[in-house]
Amino acid sequence: MAEARTVHLVQTAVAMGLIEEQVSLCYQCGTCTGACPVAAAGGMDYTPRAIMRMIQAGLEEEVLSSQTIWTCASCYLCTVRCPRGIQITEVMTQLRNLALAKGYKARKGQVYNQGFIDIVRRHGRMYEPELVVRYHLLTNPLNFIGLAPVGLKMIAKRKLRLLPDHPPGRPEIRRLFERLKESERRKEQGE
Amino acid sequence: MKYAYFPGCSQESTAEEYNRSLRAVARRLGTMELEPIPDWNCCGATPAATVHPLLLYALAARNLAIAEEMGLDVVAPCAACYKNMNKASHALNDDPELLDRVNATLNGHRLRHAPKVRHPLDVVVHDVGLDNVPVSRPLRGLKVASYYGCLITRPEGGFDDPERPQSMDRLMEALGAEPVDWPYKTRCCGGAIYMTTEEISFRMSADILAYAKAAGANVVAVGCPFCQLLLDLYQDRLEALKNMTFNLPVLFFTQLMGLAMGLDRSELGLEKLVVSPFALLAETIDRPGEEMPKKSRPPAPKLKRWGEAEQ
Repeated sequence: MAEARTVHLVQTAVAMGLIEEQVSLCYQCGTCTGACPVAAAGGMDYTPRAIMRMIQAGLEEEVLSSQTIWTCASCYLCTVRCPRGIQITEVMTQLRNLALAKGYKARKGQVYNQGFIDIVRRHGRMYEPELVVRYHLLTNPLNFIGLAPVGLKMIAKRKLRLLPDHPPGRPEIRRLFERLKESERRKEQGE
Repeated sequence: MKYAYFPGCSQESTAEEYNRSLRAVARRLGTMELEPIPDWNCCGATPAATVHPLLLYALAARNLAIAEEMGLDVVAPCAACYKNMNKASHALNDDPELLDRVNATLNGHRLRHAPKVRHPLDVVVHDVGLDNVPVSRPLRGLKVASYYGCLITRPEGGFDDPERPQSMDRLMEALGAEPVDWPYKTRCCGGAIYMTTEEISFRMSADILAYAKAAGANVVAVGCPFCQLLLDLYQDRLEALKNMTFNLPVLFFTQLMGLAMGLDRSELGLEKLVVSPFALLAETIDRPGEEMPKKSRPPAPKLKRWGEAEQ
């Protein structure tokens, strides 16, 4: 438990710095919102422009519990178009880190992210069937009914691997994850 | 030229036909030799950055270190792998402190200078050259909507315009197809969020196919496994959403190259597409009839790399 907490403290400091520096540049032109395909499809409760303004106004709780930070698809169109050069996509990523560090209720996005990375940690590579089963078990098992037709189609087209890959470097990958945790802990204590 | 080939996870499952067709095309070209990176690991896709701030760099660094040992630049066909590893390669070379911290997590490998990371579209257009693609069976009758998706040219792809790219369109032209002009070339399909908010990503993808259809395309060319999966596997759902019939086969650009180069079709994995391309191929490039007179095509224009003019 203590280990997880120290990792989060470092993340919080890094995330805070990046967000504040970036968002102070925003002059609310709304180019990001105009560009955002997720906002256009109705997938955000606050638009990216609104999120920028809310950060400037210090509405931390509203920002960190918003749906927007989890539905950003990381397509970088806002970042490419921003006349102030704000790395909006990076800000969204950092907001997700911050929300987790501060204990905001994990959205479905985090269940997916955590499941994805856990598979990478154990297998070294992605193993899609496990991710799909795990994700839907943890969110809504009833989804399996709707998944059946697509699953069958993928099996018919041999688009699913039935067993995970076993690259020889798996122990290396696990150690990489352990060392990441360790280095954060040492940084927290030593510096 | 020889490259270190990073297939990525999807190339062995959902997008196996991308892998197969790319390697077949590279073998025929001869000038694009792909040497697989042994024992590669997952790039972490979009989730890595949210789980730990260093994770994306650490996962990429291990692959980059193996490529550095091979002494080769990296080719990554999946748009997400390409974007992650390209981003990491730039960041690790620009920031020695980050490089040190990441190296401390590696075991068995050490990264000194990260090799360049390239997308195969970039390699075909800029290294191989459009004039050097041997076309034996021009793609006459195919009206191609070149769909780059979001991550091939953004944020720091560096080989084409981030919003109005041209390289795939010029490639399609060189293959004898007719590229259609359309506005959604780099619009995101929602691939990164389709597990969590399916209905939103379906709306995004449906718009893309609707625009391709409206522009008169009869086929869509892609260079990203997620785009292909959403636009092809779920096309019936997207049609229902828009109350339209698309019937648009979604092929990897390497499959179209293989067709034009007259490769053995078993090497292209066309049977794996959910929206079958065979009816379209039968009435276009496979239609018997007089051979089209060989058009004297002006030599393909030399494409500038994005940002070259400013230098």
